[in-house]
Amino acid sequence: MGLLPRKRAGSPPEPIPDENAQRPAPRRNRLTRLAFFGAAAALFLLTAACSQGFQSTWDPVGPVAQKQLQLFNVLLWTMVAVFVLVEGALIYIVIRYRRRPGQPRPPQIHGHTALEITWTIIPTALILGLGIWSVFTLFELDQPPTDQGEILNVTVTGHQWYFEFEYPDAAGGKRISTANELRIPVDRPIQLILESDDVLHSFWVPKLGGKVDVVPTRQNRLWLMADSDLIDQPLPATFYGQCAELCGLAHAQMRFRVTVMSEVDYQAWVQNYNPPQALTPQAQQGKTLFAIHCALCHTINGPEIESVAKSRIDSFLTGGDAVAVPGPNLTDLRTRQTLAAGITDLSVENLRAWIRNPEDIKPGNWMSDKAAFYTDGGDANLTDEEIDALIEYLLNLR
Amino acid sequence: MATITEVLARPTYGASGLWSWITTVDHKRIGVMYGATAFVFMLLSGIEAGVLRTQLATPDTDLIGPGRFNQMFTMHATVMIFMVIMPMGVAFFNFVVPLAIGARDVAFPRLNALSYWIFLFGAILMHFSFIVDQVPDAGWFSYANLTEYPFSENMGLDFWAIGLLVLGTSSVAGGLNFVVTIINLRAPGMSLMRMPVFVWMTLITSILLILAMPVITVGLIELVMDRNFGTHFFNPTGGGDPILWQHLFWVFGHPEVYILILPPMGIVSEILPTFSRKPLFGYPFVIFSGIVIGIMGWAVWSHHMFTVGLGPIANSVFTITTMLIAVPTGVKIFNWLGTLWKGSIELTTAMLYALGFVFLFIIGGLSGVSHAVSPSDFQQQDTYYIVAHIHYVLFGGSIMGIFAGIYYWWPKLTGKMLNEKLGKLNFWLVFIGMNVTFFPMHFVGLNGMPRRIYTYAEEFGWGTLNLLSTVGYFIIFIGVLVFVYNIWQNRNARRVSHDPWDAPGVEWSIASPPPAYNFAEVPHIKGRDHYWIEKDLAREAGNPITEPEPAVDPSTIHMPSPSYWPIITAAGVGLIGGGLLSHYGVSFLGGLIAFIGVIGWSNEPASAPEEGH
Repeated sequence: MGLLPRKRAGSPPEPIPDENAQRPAPRRNRLTRLAFFGAAAALFLLTAACSQGFQSTWDPVGPVAQKQLQLFNVLLWTMVAVFVLVEGALIYIVIRYRRRPGQPRPPQIHGHTALEITWTIIPTALILGLGIWSVFTLFELDQPPTDQGEILNVTVTGHQWYFEFEYPDAAGGKRISTANELRIPVDRPIQLILESDDVLHSFWVPKLGGKVDVVPTRQNRLWLMADSDLIDQPLPATFYGQCAELCGLAHAQMRFRVTVMSEVDYQAWVQNYNPPQALTPQAQQGKTLFAIHCALCHTINGPEIESVAKSRIDSFLTGGDAVAVPGPNLTDLRTRQTLAAGITDLSVENLRAWIRNPEDIKPGNWMSDKAAFYTDGGDANLTDEEIDALIEYLLNLR
Repeated sequence: MATITEVLARPTYGASGLWSWITTVDHKRIGVMYGATAFVFMLLSGIEAGVLRTQLATPDTDLIGPGRFNQMFTMHATVMIFMVIMPMGVAFFNFVVPLAIGARDVAFPRLNALSYWIFLFGAILMHFSFIVDQVPDAGWFSYANLTEYPFSENMGLDFWAIGLLVLGTSSVAGGLNFVVTIINLRAPGMSLMRMPVFVWMTLITSILLILAMPVITVGLIELVMDRNFGTHFFNPTGGGDPILWQHLFWVFGHPEVYILILPPMGIVSEILPTFSRKPLFGYPFVIFSGIVIGIMGWAVWSHHMFTVGLGPIANSVFTITTMLIAVPTGVKIFNWLGTLWKGSIELTTAMLYALGFVFLFIIGGLSGVSHAVSPSDFQQQDTYYIVAHIHYVLFGGSIMGIFAGIYYWWPKLTGKMLNEKLGKLNFWLVFIGMNVTFFPMHFVGLNGMPRRIYTYAEEFGWGTLNLLSTVGYFIIFIGVLVFVYNIWQNRNARRVSHDPWDAPGVEWSIASPPPAYNFAEVPHIKGRDHYWIEKDLAREAGNPITEPEPAVDPSTIHMPSPSYWPIITAAGVGLIGGGLLSHYGVSFLGGLIAFIGVIGWSNEPASAPEEGH
């Protein structure tokens, strides 16, 4: 038996057996120690492995992600069982039937039909069972539930490299657009309508549910829901998402956040979105600068900036020098948490650094490439006062 | 064309030096050239992987920017798939198949040389992109419409598409050659159901190549047209459909996966019986499961596209078909276990690699089932979980199988044995390094790390496991260096007998290295494990075999003569591609050279008259 330690020829006689304390052989001892260290290392790695990160799929906060995790868990444990059985058999066979010196040729077995049929039918049955269950889950998760509150529609547009969110049926016909931050009420199904403005992207918030690609020429749909029973932190709670389909240079920097709010807070946010403005003189200067330098790509909801943008685009179409690429809508920027598609927190300092040189923060972005006041990857041709005025305008609209 | 043959004397059989390699049509030499070229590209691509792993070792690393990173993962995968694993498979087809079926060469020796030279020129063409620093950067799958103007403005994607078109020509020519060889050139007595499993897998792979390459060719031509001639196949602004590219790519891409894995499966099916001293368990089932995989491989492509939004009906169909393909794969694994069962297992390096293949491929297969299930895949698609899966299948599977084959057939190729101690060190380093690199990726992926991102923030919690993966990479790297050293020191090694493993295949009955004509006398195949049967019969007759088949005077055997037309034609094909990337005049010149090559080729007599046979 290959598994059992065998007595070596010429080894010293064994110590007198002691009935009470059977001393393990030294070889065993080493094995035990090895196993102990192995287990400790495995435990350490498992802790690192299953740490509940910002985008962990092990920690669902909504029914979609939860059902997907349940399905995966069943698959996982089936896999673990098959793994232990088959790899165990492999290791056992290799140790058990190791060649020994002078061993004659083993029996020449060519096959066993009954065995072949068995190990074809059992996996087929197992797989069909799992498969049918998967298909049921697939159809179950396809459409949002109609009995769990009013469905909120949100249009998601993928751009190189940020996500834009619009709320087509906000109260009172209000036009609400945000970038990189999706605000949703808790316990209500959200129907996302996914469109792309340029290339393929993929919309993914792991804790809320699996991803769906954002494809030009198509209007894909994805529904998600945040479940208050699954969220173990006070509302509003923030969850992380990221583009999951290679979309060019700044693909890694195309992050976004989902803020789950109570219904009351959500309605209040809608109500207070983009309030009427009374500008300080500095902000007024910023607004002028914005109209000159930024309005071709960025917009701020409201007649003034939009009309400026329109005249700039018209002049571009009739032979102007600037190139328009859609940049994030900056309306109500002060209510957002992050800057540059979720890379840094939104603060005056970070915004200043961003305007000064976006390429340092998000390599590949279109702003440093297209905006006229950046020289090749260099700093903006703006004075500190001008930048401060822009920031005053963007952040302190009141 | 008589004039040309007179200007440049026809190379004669038995010439030596560089010229003899350039003009060779000997399948063994072509196999060696394929293997050596693929190995060089493997080192290159491995270094690209090292750059990726170093960049990802810690959060917010500042080694390379996103542009370089995208180029590195694109070229790492493209090179590993099209210039390492595929040609490594073809290297084994070339070296082993004619020997294993008792033939003197492949059916079309000059076409075989053409395949190699086109492969070499295509690979070099694609690597020119590094010289002009316009490297492909849209991933090995190059999803439209990121590959279109204005999103990809430099010539990287042109290098990629045209390079692959040239390489595809080589694959189709090779595939046809091996189908004809295996159907027609088997030694008497070798019925289909007596063919070695490796030859069977070569046949299936070759058929897959012939059927799959045209699909990607269509896609690539459309891409080249979109980029260079203003069509809009995949460009939505002109009414094209980017999803069309995905269908074309994966209708090719999934059979391609089996093109990459079936040859190593065949290699392993040769090695396990040899070192268990037992015939393969359930031979017909192993063959049949291979055929079933080859057929079902065409019905699963959309599992790469579960998140595209094809709808629940399409996703259900492809979920079920994909899960079912696990069954024939499982049958193979069970039969390998059956082969080992009650065997007399000798753990040589080749056997360790074969067992490593089985061990790791099981892991890759199991994780494969979890993303065959589309609702579960929605969380896994495009994450490191998939990266872990494909590396368990392609590294743990294909590359381990290829190493197993190298250690197994090396004595036949050179007459010398690779050092077993170094070999085992090589195996354990690669095996451990492989697991340290790729096993943590399952967890990083499930913790939400997408693929193809060049940086990540610390607070996402992916740092520890990524660092571990990078450590694993360097263990593999040292393992491969040990392999290189093993090859290097082999020139001083002792000669071994013609049959050092006591193997069952007919290729072991001839001298090592085999003479140019392979078999002095075409063998009569007595059964599935021909050489075991022969040796048993000889032993029973009291006259055990200790010597290979005796050598004969090569001039008494008719062999195909060397030819320089294949390399000329291949150079023409390469220049056609190069011209599309530079100046159309070059393409015209290339076309002319290829034309002259084909004319010269077809007017070349079957063997040089002065050789007198």
